[in-house]
Amino acid sequence: MISIRGLEKSFGDNRVLRGVNLEIAKGEILTIIGPSGAGKTTLLRTLNWLDVPDAGTITIDGATIDATRATKRSIKQLRSKSAMVFQHYNLFNNKTALENVTESLILVRKLPRAEAEARGRQLLERVGLSDKCDTYPSFLSGGQQQRVGIARALAVEPKVILFDEPTSALDPEWVNEVLAVMTEIARDGMTMIVVSHEMRFVRNVSTRVVLLDDGHILEDGTPEQVFQHPRHERAVQFLRQADLQ
Amino acid sequence: MGKIFDLSFMISTIPPIVGKLPVTLWIVFLSGAIALVLGFLVAMVRYFHVRILTQICKVYVSFMRGTPAMVQLLVAYYGIPIFLRAINASLGTGFSVNGIPAVVFAVFALSLNSGAFMSETIRGAMLAINAGQLEACYSVNLSTWQALRRIILPQAFTNALPALGNSFISLLKETSLVFYISVIDMMAQAKITGSRSYRFFEVYIVVALIYWAVCFLMERVLALLERHVRRYERGIVK
Ligand SMILES: Nc1ncnc2c1ncn2[C@@H]1O[C@H](COP(=O)(O)OP(=O)(O)O)[C@@H](O)[C@H]1O
Ligand SMILES: [Mg+2]
Repeated sequence: MISIRGLEKSFGDNRVLRGVNLEIAKGEILTIIGPSGAGKTTLLRTLNWLDVPDAGTITIDGATIDATRATKRSIKQLRSKSAMVFQHYNLFNNKTALENVTESLILVRKLPRAEAEARGRQLLERVGLSDKCDTYPSFLSGGQQQRVGIARALAVEPKVILFDEPTSALDPEWVNEVLAVMTEIARDGMTMIVVSHEMRFVRNVSTRVVLLDDGHILEDGTPEQVFQHPRHERAVQFLRQADLQ
Repeated sequence: MGKIFDLSFMISTIPPIVGKLPVTLWIVFLSGAIALVLGFLVAMVRYFHVRILTQICKVYVSFMRGTPAMVQLLVAYYGIPIFLRAINASLGTGFSVNGIPAVVFAVFALSLNSGAFMSETIRGAMLAINAGQLEACYSVNLSTWQALRRIILPQAFTNALPALGNSFISLLKETSLVFYISVIDMMAQAKITGSRSYRFFEVYIVVALIYWAVCFLMERVLALLERHVRRYERGIVK
């Protein structure tokens, strides 16, 4: 369903993605791991066109975009297929939890306000926050903010949700509630690409793990394959250093 | 020469001076509104680095910040008629030069002046907003314009409000210069009233108090507005 071919991205002289190829099937829960600076965030962001790749093509659910020939329309079409959950939540500060979720329903999907709000309430209930609809983000805990972020992503009915280290900015006490919500969404059949080193999630939920190193895919397989039988010496080193075995 | 300080005279000057308060307030209101729009447009040009326009805006802001408001008033007062005459001469148009009320020049100059300061305030307030806000907008497929209108500008306005309030208060005080270009505002009326009796101290005390009172009211309104726009922020004072 998702096809990434020859994806390249540099920031100045810094080659961050060096020809990434990746095929992801519907319903896969793909976790991307790898050292800091490997390009994990950049890879996710190109899928949502928040970073513009220098070369390569991305296809999500039939919407194909070529880095060298992107148009406003193709960007909009690609973006409509995915939604992003950010490390630092990035909730709209001036909107309540409910408004954060309904904003795209009203502005992009053009639902009538009442319908959008009903849908928004459902989604907040799904992430366990039906009592926080009218609360502004600054009055929510980190865990609650991230769950609103997930509800906001679900609202666009994406084909894939991109999570960039969704729990790494959270106090340990809030991590579980976010993982629980992510697990539930995975069980419902959503396709997910998750940058995370949260082993509870990787072991229990992930169907596939990719190890990104220096802009290349180094390992690609089931969690069992990648963690127990890595094929590259660099992968062994990384897994040992990061204490992921 | 009689009393050192003539209280009853002072009180008698209040009605004529307050009578010109609407002139002052209209100048503040019109110049302030135009300055806000202008400041917003300039801020947008610079925020998005629009080619050519950015350069023009930079020169404009630099000139307005680098020259005294009084000089700008005088340049507008003498310059616009000359400019119109030149246009009439070269294009054969018939703009009436003498028919323009002086207050138009005052509003023109003060809007341009205040707009320059406001543009910097608004631009700064937009730059202060975390890039993550815009990215979150794009991630749920809002257009740039929708993102600006619903998310970025409302937050920028909140950030900019205290400084914009200062600009409005400065504007109020700068209107006291318009008597130089023959607009009869409060200040001009005070001068006229004072010169009739050669008692200037009393009338200037009266204008000072009126400016202060208006300022005080503006501050109250700003404080209420501020509380409203900051409702989404977690603060110590609620
Ligand atoms: N906007 C940017 N400008 C310049 N360099 C960037 C930018 N974003 C990321 N980088 C660089 O790209 C490299 C990969 O970053 P990133 O994708 O965030 O890595 P990861 O998420 O794997 O830690 C890093 O060297 C980082 O400094
Ligand atoms: Mg990262």
